[in-house]
Amino acid sequence: MNTVQLERECRSYARYLIGQAPSAYVIGKYRDFHMEGDAAALGRFDHFLVRVSARAPFWARLADTYATRFRKNSAVHRKLVLMLALLECAPTSFEIVEQVQGGGFAGTVMLLGWGAARYALVLIVSVVLFTPVRLAMALSSKSGSAEARKH
Amino acid sequence: MDPIVVVGSGASGVHFALTALRKGRRVIMLDVGYTGAEPVRPSDTLNGLKQNLPDPVAYFLGVRYHSLVLPGHSGEYYAFPPAKEHVFRARNEFQLQSSGFSPLYSFAAGGLAETWTGGCYPFDESDLSAFPFGYKELAPYYAQVAERIGITGTVDDLASVFPVHDGLMEPLELDEHSAVLLDSYAGHRDYLNAKFQCLLGRARVAALSRDLGSRKACSHTGRCLWGCPSQAFYTPSVTLAECRAYPEFQYMAGLYVDHFRMDAADQVRSVVAYAAGGETHEFATGSLVLAAGTLCSSKIFLESMFRAKGKVLELRGVMDNRQILMPFVNLRMLGRRWNPNSYQYHQIAIAVRPPNSESIHALVTTLKTGLIHPIVQALPFDLGTGVSIQRQIHGALGLVNINFPDHRRDENFVTMDVTSTPHRLVIHYRPESSEPERLTHTIATFRKILFKLGCLAPSRTVHVRPMGASVHYAGTLPMSDQPGALSCSQHGAHHEIQNLYFVDGTTFPALPAKNVTFTLMANATRIAKEAF
Repeated sequence: MNTVQLERECRSYARYLIGQAPSAYVIGKYRDFHMEGDAAALGRFDHFLVRVSARAPFWARLADTYATRFRKNSAVHRKLVLMLALLECAPTSFEIVEQVQGGGFAGTVMLLGWGAARYALVLIVSVVLFTPVRLAMALSSKSGSAEARKH
Repeated sequence: MDPIVVVGSGASGVHFALTALRKGRRVIMLDVGYTGAEPVRPSDTLNGLKQNLPDPVAYFLGVRYHSLVLPGHSGEYYAFPPAKEHVFRARNEFQLQSSGFSPLYSFAAGGLAETWTGGCYPFDESDLSAFPFGYKELAPYYAQVAERIGITGTVDDLASVFPVHDGLMEPLELDEHSAVLLDSYAGHRDYLNAKFQCLLGRARVAALSRDLGSRKACSHTGRCLWGCPSQAFYTPSVTLAECRAYPEFQYMAGLYVDHFRMDAADQVRSVVAYAAGGETHEFATGSLVLAAGTLCSSKIFLESMFRAKGKVLELRGVMDNRQILMPFVNLRMLGRRWNPNSYQYHQIAIAVRPPNSESIHALVTTLKTGLIHPIVQALPFDLGTGVSIQRQIHGALGLVNINFPDHRRDENFVTMDVTSTPHRLVIHYRPESSEPERLTHTIATFRKILFKLGCLAPSRTVHVRPMGASVHYAGTLPMSDQPGALSCSQHGAHHEIQNLYFVDGTTFPALPAKNVTFTLMANATRIAKEAF
């Protein structure tokens, strides 16, 4: 288990979900979870999504949006759910997770509208970026296994 | 006089035992009796725990993250909290196999009701129509249990389906969301009554609105889901502790009761139990009272009959309440701040009585301090957007838990597989063929009711729980006026083995849509009072 990579994921995901860096406690728990045994072998594309998402919050959003729509049980989505669960239980970050912005019905409708529009836009971008990668990986693994059969 | 041997310390067992002790009887209670840790930092609020505990993630998600709800989960909206893990700790001697049924069972001190949500709904005359007694006979015991455990409630529209008995405490302080729902109902009451035969009112809950004995009134720490730190919320372990104060009471934990032995006259003469290390213990008894819960009591009976007669019996008529979970958003609560320091389980109940059909009951929980990661991942957005939206809608979220009645049907039964070691309890359950249509119709009705109350319940989030999830099991050896080898008297005595009593749900001849626990307690109290 690459702890540097895990820490990178943790930082990127915390910034994406709550706009703040994770505490040392949260980073420790994130690492601990992966040491505990959620280390199932990832497919190539899942591995790619995890690596991309660890780069920065923007990439985490792209990968998450794609995964939410097309790969609900993927590693990146699981890791992000874990991250959210840790943030909502941990000191300080739980307050940010639950911070109501107010604005009543109208404010919520506006936020929903903005959220839906941004989601749609990011989804389009993520499809454009990730679908060719996914197809290329699928094709190369097919041709790889055909080669292996030949030999 | 011989001591009474009681098996199990759940809701039925402890109320039977306490009543018998108060009558001066000696009681030996045999129990596996797993216990959990004492509540941590009792005076902290829920957010106080997040702030002050050295390892809050271990407290809320578990040391091994068992309470983390990852994608691809079962569809439940919250997992059992780590503090209650002991309630579902398995015991190797008890194995089961089931089809069409996903049972839960417990070997904890206090039993399954250690994780209940406190709903106390007395059966009315129509609920008791298949029972060999009516509401009038049960009412004094409802009152007695209410006085023992502390039940809050009031007289409102629901009084016509939830009879008003003595011993009710004034209701708990309403949380803001529940108050908004009640207010909406008041504005649409006539329409809802006429169109859907829908009644809405205050829930009856086993939580103290004022001090009772050494138990303090609810202090609104918001920790109900995680285990009440002050015992304001009732669980059977409170009554177990009360029983243990009697010198005539002997509580023997760590024992798994496997079977009983009978004498030549077909009367119970002893009970055989196994300790964790495998040692066998045998207890002579004048009267054996099974209160281990319908599935475990049935298993003890089946095992005993197999050993005594060499026959594998089928106990027909097992029942459970089908449940539907319907999350909703209350538009009037959107974007509003909410107070996490409030009572967390349901404060509102709904009854719908369609013409020519039985009542359906629902409990409305306004979700405040449950973990949000299971909810956010169910939203149709990425998690980042989901978190922002959740902040705005958290105070507006609620969950309706709809309960359906069940009836004894011969095709549903429990039996035992004697080819395995240890012998396995086998459960077969098939819902009625008309069930899908009924569920669809009920879901549509409740969505309309919620809409009228100003709430949206997206159809894609509705979750039909598997049979067995409600944990209201009953009906395998029903009370009946007709003597038979597979039925009991109105006092829960087996018709042929007359010193064998069942005081749990095993003997219920029908299962209304109400939470059964309060009636289990009242019925066990009734049997102890009238038959011992």
